[in-house]
Amino acid sequence: MTEQNDKNLERREFLIRTAKAGVAIAAAGAASYLLYDKKGPAQNTESEKIVTLPNFSVPHVQGQSLSIVKGSDRAKTAAKAIELLGGIERFIKPGDTVAIKPNIAFASPPMLGATTNPDLVAEVVKLCYKAGAKKVIVTDNPINEPAGCFAISGIGKAVANVGGEIILPKSSYFKNTTLPGGTLIKDWPILYEPFRKANKLIGIAPVKNHHRSGASMAMKNWYGLLGGRRNIFHQDINTIIAELAMLIKPTLVILDGTEVMVTNGPTGGSLSDLKRTNTLIAGCDMVAADSFACGLLDIKVSDLPYLAKAAAAGAGTTDYQSLKPILAEL
Amino acid sequence: MSSSVNRAKNLESVISFCILAILAAITTGIFIRQAHTGEKELIDFSKMTPAGFETASEIEVYNADNLYEKIDGKAPLYTESGFEKLYTRRFASPADPNLAMELYLFDMGNIRNAFSVYSLQRRADAETLPDFTFAYKTSNALYLVHGRYYVEIIGFSESIGLSKAILEVSQNIRNNIPIDKNAKIPELAFFPQENLVAGNAKFYLASAFGFEGLTNTFTAVYKIDDQTVTAFFSKRPGKKDAETTAENYYNFLIANGGVAKTAADKTFTGKVIEFDGAAEIIFTTGSFVGGVHEAENRQTAEMIAVKLLNKLALIKQ
Repeated sequence: MTEQNDKNLERREFLIRTAKAGVAIAAAGAASYLLYDKKGPAQNTESEKIVTLPNFSVPHVQGQSLSIVKGSDRAKTAAKAIELLGGIERFIKPGDTVAIKPNIAFASPPMLGATTNPDLVAEVVKLCYKAGAKKVIVTDNPINEPAGCFAISGIGKAVANVGGEIILPKSSYFKNTTLPGGTLIKDWPILYEPFRKANKLIGIAPVKNHHRSGASMAMKNWYGLLGGRRNIFHQDINTIIAELAMLIKPTLVILDGTEVMVTNGPTGGSLSDLKRTNTLIAGCDMVAADSFACGLLDIKVSDLPYLAKAAAAGAGTTDYQSLKPILAEL
Repeated sequence: MSSSVNRAKNLESVISFCILAILAAITTGIFIRQAHTGEKELIDFSKMTPAGFETASEIEVYNADNLYEKIDGKAPLYTESGFEKLYTRRFASPADPNLAMELYLFDMGNIRNAFSVYSLQRRADAETLPDFTFAYKTSNALYLVHGRYYVEIIGFSESIGLSKAILEVSQNIRNNIPIDKNAKIPELAFFPQENLVAGNAKFYLASAFGFEGLTNTFTAVYKIDDQTVTAFFSKRPGKKDAETTAENYYNFLIANGGVAKTAADKTFTGKVIEFDGAAEIIFTTGSFVGGVHEAENRQTAEMIAVKLLNKLALIKQ
């Protein structure tokens, strides 16, 4: 009798537990069904749209593609170099919105030469306003914390003092782009929003040694526009720099070789990493500008494979002499 | 309720308690792991601040995955050399904002890795500091190896006051960050001392002189009259590996335009190559590959190579 009762109890217990499990499974299934979103996550058409940066370049003028000015005062050499290319009015028209892209990669003081010199950026902002620009914005996507980079590099203050507008990068400012025919820049985020309303783009970069790419100059400066985990491109640094040169078509590039970082780039850190070469380059052909600046770093054009790659892709020429650079000394 | 049901319930309770105990053990383990990150125990940044300065930033910590966020294209130099973590912090004088500096503390895992990145970045105008085995300063910065740590203290301006404060930070590091004091780099003593330029040794963990096969390579600079010669050696796992590496390096130089030459000393067993207007010498002794790199004068190069070979031949392998 007792054994029979035990069996009954076990059976009853089994049925109760089975029923409970069934209810739990049914409840979970019902909840899943009710919460299931058949449409999936909503497509953010704005953010997922592939964008293309406009062509910011100005018409070619024979014999006015590259200027090289010797001197120690960046503001003066920059003004002179631009003057030799036909003056700021050739590049900036009244009412233009100008975007300036310095190299502000690091929270590093101007003295160390790891970032674009703030006096030089301020001078170019002033020249743009003088030519009638409606607005001049200065932006970059530093690898260090942006606000700190703009502050410590001195660029934030220098630009504000001359009426320029600083735009710090936000995640919403990045849109995906694809370089037609490119192998690396495919559906990759770039800093886009600050350039959306601009119709002119000026790149201003220091001349620096670079551990990975050999040198960081006008072309490498555009690396700062890349978003995402851009360090993966360090594995194929020559291709990414060449592709950036194909992707970005600036109005003008300015290459500061007043004091160049010859060792331990791109960060440097010691004043002994710098060498005074008192040279400023302005040009419409960034491949040519970088090719000339190789000499300031005591390297050959062939030491930087990305130059030949970019030239082969039609981004410019490594034979800067063929452009008959205009020379001046202050 | 029957005894079998009770047994089943007891068994369920026991299993449940076991599962809960395992989960509790895992949770405890995670907490212990997080609380003992090692470096936090070893590094007390509050003791790094020099007198008259304040911390001007939080401590930033980077690992191999995000090091590029701090130093961009220089990250591979570290990540390919055993890098583990980077700690940075800025200090500034409240009285004078121009007196500011940033401390970079790279945990390279061991002293050899730390020495490698230190030596490969050594500045030309360096002034050696006596307080450390490996340390130098420039007009605005100070660089040193402290055990497994490679340290950079970068001044944001150039001044005597800032230099003193930077030096104080280096002393704070020496006094407050514990290290394995037995960790040494014995290979540095393998170079002959005569005519050696002190403090110029380098250690390439990979790809010395652009040749991938030449790993774990030490170099040192010699100055004889006005001739500068760079000598090198790499200890291989064995004699055969040394011979293969030497041969591969020789072939690499020849394939890139080098021309084989005969050594002036007919008894010298190494190979002499003229490469891009300079002399290259390669030899092996036991498990060492050694030689001379980019020497302007072949005679001087051969002399240094013979001395290095003789010294390496005496070292127990």
